[in-house]
Amino acid sequence: MIDMTREPVPDSRPDMAGALATLFDPANVAVVGASRKKGKLGQAVLELLQRNNYGGRIIPVNPSGGEIEGLPVCTSLEEIDEPIDVVVLSTPVASALDALESCSKLGVKVVVGVTSGFSEAGAEGEANEERLRRILATAPFRLIGPNCEGVVRPRTSLQLTFSPMFDNLRDGPVAMISQSGALAGLMALRLGERGIGLNTIISSGNETDLTAADLMDHLGNEPETKVVLCYLEELRNGRKFAEAAQRLTQAGKKIVVVKGGRSSAGTRAVQSHTGAMAGDDRVVSAIFREVGVIRARDSVSAVDAVTALASGRKPAGNRVGIISVTGGLGVEMTDLAEVDGFEVPVLAPETQAALSEYVPYYGSVTNPVDLTGVVLANPSYVGRCLEAVVRDPGIDIAIAIITFVPDQTFVEALAEAYDKSDKPILIIWTGASRSNASGEAFVQRGVPVYDSPARASSGLSALRLGSGEVA
Amino acid sequence: MSVRETLENWVRQGRQVVHEADAKALLSEIGVPVPERDPADGKVVVKLCHDDFPHKSDHGLVRLGLTPADAPNAAAEMVARVPGGVPLIEAMEQNAQVEWIVGCKIDATFGPIVLAGPGGVLVELLDAGEIRLAPATTETALDMLGQGAGARLLDGMRGAPAADRAALADLISRISVFFAQNADLISEIEVNPVMVRADGRGLVAADALIVLHDAAQT
Repeated sequence: MIDMTREPVPDSRPDMAGALATLFDPANVAVVGASRKKGKLGQAVLELLQRNNYGGRIIPVNPSGGEIEGLPVCTSLEEIDEPIDVVVLSTPVASALDALESCSKLGVKVVVGVTSGFSEAGAEGEANEERLRRILATAPFRLIGPNCEGVVRPRTSLQLTFSPMFDNLRDGPVAMISQSGALAGLMALRLGERGIGLNTIISSGNETDLTAADLMDHLGNEPETKVVLCYLEELRNGRKFAEAAQRLTQAGKKIVVVKGGRSSAGTRAVQSHTGAMAGDDRVVSAIFREVGVIRARDSVSAVDAVTALASGRKPAGNRVGIISVTGGLGVEMTDLAEVDGFEVPVLAPETQAALSEYVPYYGSVTNPVDLTGVVLANPSYVGRCLEAVVRDPGIDIAIAIITFVPDQTFVEALAEAYDKSDKPILIIWTGASRSNASGEAFVQRGVPVYDSPARASSGLSALRLGSGEVA
Repeated sequence: MSVRETLENWVRQGRQVVHEADAKALLSEIGVPVPERDPADGKVVVKLCHDDFPHKSDHGLVRLGLTPADAPNAAAEMVARVPGGVPLIEAMEQNAQVEWIVGCKIDATFGPIVLAGPGGVLVELLDAGEIRLAPATTETALDMLGQGAGARLLDGMRGAPAADRAALADLISRISVFFAQNADLISEIEVNPVMVRADGRGLVAADALIVLHDAAQT
């Protein structure tokens, strides 16, 4: 758990943009609490930094000295013979605070505080929290965390974390900020498995210095970022967050937020109807809607929404064309789409004629298109049918539903159809694990692939919504 | 005395809930239409306003549909029951198409916000308040009025004329701007009901409440 009962340190700190630029591409990283013992955070940080091919200098810091993972160890930060860009703090809290004072003296640019034991630790952490705040008031560095899982920047092969959940991610259009490291790990792993690229992941922890609002503003404004995904428990600087979100969404960026937890502030006695009607969670939904944020119900629906948005393909309208190798799944997808306010219109006569070349008389070419099992014997048909539906001028979004796949050609044909259009296309593949085919062609392209109509509908909703809620 | 100075005086005096008569006097200064006071003819409403009794009707401090001649006696009776109260005799609005609630408060997360929705008895029945950041522009206010059941009410149900959306949007924006400018002093404003007349004929604030921050905490 994080703790947000305390206000962030006042914003008279060193320039954030400069600090983050250093953080994301540091010349060196000092790991305070580096260890050779498996299971220690400092060991994991070191191992992940090396394994993910960080190109700068890694400096393990440990009072016992010697060598760790083949790297010479400095016994203290003071012993390091060059200016330090980034320090990762992974020691217990008492020595972490001593190290922070060294960071101040040495002019360190950024500290990533993995260490716990501050405001989130209740009465016991209170003295630590006070000392941290005193240090930050005049510190030359900016702080991520503390009590966080760290920072991952696939663009620069940088891993400043003890969690292996972010290993081998691909760079891409999504930036993630999470107050929970574990949820960041879940979402990053799932997105990575689908081939969705992430340029940055920041576990923001207690946000004693840099808040989600600050980080979203910065990451969202990077030109490569198309989608910002946030997991938030307590939104501090809510106004700043809302205003930054509005600027970003007006500039065409997508923001998906999972807002967990409920504030207790709304339970106080209220004098008026306004107080009663404007309960905390309702205000969150309303303001998110106002500023263009898509609110996802949970981390899974958020991943499904981001999967669809990451392609950057934007539908011109809400008309969905569905092709399916089975009638049942086509019907379920149609039901879900219509409930969410989409149309599943009858296809144009030319489209129906084109489909009729491949679909037997006992299938259907109207919409949803029932290809029937015949396509299983003719794997390339499915690609041509998808192309025909995507080409239909009355269709804005196409969905192709497949179950088990007997032949690799099947997947390649759909992937090629995806390449030939710039309309949003979603694939539902219910039986990937029962197929004689690899989904690599989808993953390489970041094609949105879902395992069921229900999850595809989260992606579908996100495509259409400027803002609002995705279940 | 400016509106701001009035608010500051109230905070200094330790007032927290500002009663209807004072709240309306202040709001009329910023352009909120309020009912005519002490009219010579037509139906009137008599109320007794007191900071300690914001929910007047629960205490028998509202009488509707009186004549101007009967009003002073009704007011005197209320004053006798609640010493220190301020009697308010106002024209009773007869031409409202719909009743609306317009409120502002400081949200713990987002700061000043504004809420607007079907008011009067519909507040609890529909609970259809639209919420935006304050200050809200009239464009934003019009968007609030275009959502859900409230929009249909304003359009006029079953042949009723459409209500004056433009006047209502102006009111929402005006109150939200005032609130946001003075949110260091005011914690809540609520106008409920706003009596909205047919399109082009304006509206009037039938009741109003201002809640100030606790002086001890500011």
